[in-house]
Amino acid sequence: MANNQELTNLVNYGLVKAHVAMGLIFFIIVALMGFLYSLQLDGIYPFPGIEFLSPGRVRMIHTAGAAYGFLVNMFTGLLYWAVPRFTGYRVLSNALGWFMFWALQAAVLITVVAILFLGQADNVEWGETPWWIDPIIVFWLLLHLIQFGAPLFKASQRGPLYVSGWYISAMLVWTPLVVFMGNLIPRFWSAGSGAGAVQSTFIHDLVGLYVTPVAWGLMYYFVPIILKKPMWSHGLSLLGFWGLAFFYPMNGVHHFLWSPIPMFAQYSAVFATVAIEFAVTSVLINFMMTIRGSAEQLKYNIPLRYMYTGAIFYWITCFQCAFHVTLTFQKVIHFTDWVTGHAHLIMFGTFGLWVLGMAEYLWPKLFGKETMYSKGMSEGAYWLLTIGVFAMFFDLTAAGLVQGFDWIGLNPWIDSVNFSKPFWYFRSITGIMMLTGLFMYAINFYKTATAAKGLTAELKSESA
Amino acid sequence: MSKMERFSFVALVAGIIFFLFADFVSWALPMFVLKDIPMKKVEELAAEAKAKNTSAWADFLRLAKVYYPEQFKKYYGEPNEETFAEALRVGHHWYVAEGCWNCHSQMVRPVSNETLRFGIPGVSNTVSYPSEFQNELQAPVLWGTKRIGPDLIREAAVHDIGWQAAHLYNPESTSPGTNMPGYPWFFEKDEKGNIVPNKRGIGMLVYIMWLGSWEVKPTKEWALK
Repeated sequence: MANNQELTNLVNYGLVKAHVAMGLIFFIIVALMGFLYSLQLDGIYPFPGIEFLSPGRVRMIHTAGAAYGFLVNMFTGLLYWAVPRFTGYRVLSNALGWFMFWALQAAVLITVVAILFLGQADNVEWGETPWWIDPIIVFWLLLHLIQFGAPLFKASQRGPLYVSGWYISAMLVWTPLVVFMGNLIPRFWSAGSGAGAVQSTFIHDLVGLYVTPVAWGLMYYFVPIILKKPMWSHGLSLLGFWGLAFFYPMNGVHHFLWSPIPMFAQYSAVFATVAIEFAVTSVLINFMMTIRGSAEQLKYNIPLRYMYTGAIFYWITCFQCAFHVTLTFQKVIHFTDWVTGHAHLIMFGTFGLWVLGMAEYLWPKLFGKETMYSKGMSEGAYWLLTIGVFAMFFDLTAAGLVQGFDWIGLNPWIDSVNFSKPFWYFRSITGIMMLTGLFMYAINFYKTATAAKGLTAELKSESA
Repeated sequence: MSKMERFSFVALVAGIIFFLFADFVSWALPMFVLKDIPMKKVEELAAEAKAKNTSAWADFLRLAKVYYPEQFKKYYGEPNEETFAEALRVGHHWYVAEGCWNCHSQMVRPVSNETLRFGIPGVSNTVSYPSEFQNELQAPVLWGTKRIGPDLIREAAVHDIGWQAAHLYNPESTSPGTNMPGYPWFFEKDEKGNIVPNKRGIGMLVYIMWLGSWEVKPTKEWALK
């Protein structure tokens, strides 16, 4: 009990709960938006002719909402748990934390209103927030830097930081720079090809310098804790981190290969992207060797299973990337659904599953319970989400090839739409699977939080 | 080794130095290479369209004087360089706000037969080049990352105003089988009950008919008699 007391003082449970809950709510909302948009592609959009539910606007909520509503909320909540616990110091200020919480929700809400109702959007992919809200987000991210930078800085006065600390420290510095760069430079200080180079760098940096490092930082924290053993190799941890830090920021221009951006920038992006697969593989080897000998835990430990499933999806995505980033592949797959499949496997399949796993690990603890409300719902959600997202990835990858070759073949444009229809129908079905999984997951969360009696865990076997 | 694992080292080396180096390679250097291409304001684009009598200028006059004269007068006034620039801005704003760029790219690549597919062969089917994007309406750039519909950067030569208006109001009417949504809020009814574009609709039409008009060769013989 005394132990618990101490941890309560270290971690602000309220902030973790609030951010994770809002992150989950936004996850469901943005998934619904994506599903709605997919119905437009199927030709069965349920709200035709309604201005504020125009599919183009809904799609921007899907992407911008996934960035700021879902991922930023989820990661911030998980950081409020992890950072104080591995540094041993509290975050800078609880009051600041609550201010940041409400400011973030307000920023997301204003973005939704602006895009759906006011016709205010920005044509930066993943930065669809209207330009006048971007300085506010940058300011928020600076607060985020001092909020989490404080415990990390204090801890590193005392000794070297743990791996998670490197990833999160770098991410805290990168993110405000990335958002400032990607949203404001293309609008006010450049245009055309120069702006395109900045925008492509932004698309990739928001993934590579915010989502990826914070997620790996959390993985390096949660996986050893759940497995109750250290990472396999510190050397590989170092290699993975510095490889990511050096090569990832240079990847961006690969989003616009064969574009009017000067070729040296395109070549350097291809080179850096292939290089980063080696860093990624080193990280994956480290995680796979860590679980060696404890793999049977994957059978009953659902949070851990989410994390390793996500890790495998991560490696698949990155391996795929090493090939399709080449100029040869780009001839066929650029502008097709292949890319959409790739993006969903990484954002939903990896980062989505990771945050769901981490949140499921935390959630009972936050409410003083030992397990989730329903094991069955946990299992059901896991399988629906995993199968759903992988099926979507597979389906869209195939659709991308069909579209790409059809376009090269100079058939009438409408052919590529008709040929894609079966793939798009199937994609909507996988969307239903994923949404069902999310609802199941959310109900389980709600029931766990509100369950009257303490849910207790039963010992399955001695090795547990 | 232990120095590498401190907050200040990570923040400085990874957070700042690596980031700046990558930005230098990825976009600062490309911008430096492209710096001599003049950056055009919308007013300059309008002046250029008029001076060169491009198809965009002809289509603009046709729209304002023949197709929708009352609507144009009501929302924009006289057709001249200023109102052309204004309509371009309005059209561009709604092209972005409606997320047109989610499904339509604005870049013709030098591969995959794209020069044959987009535009009209022999008239407007060149590869995209840096200077055509160096203007205010491409900040941020509208290349896009996904095509559900075709590329639009050579659209000026492909369809005329009437087709575009019908297509925006009800895409099925011009492109059977399409899954593009209609945009009825770009239109209104005039006194006679005809469906005509409103301010946004006129802006969209002017903007779309401007896309790639600088590449239409020879200039369309569409000047009003």
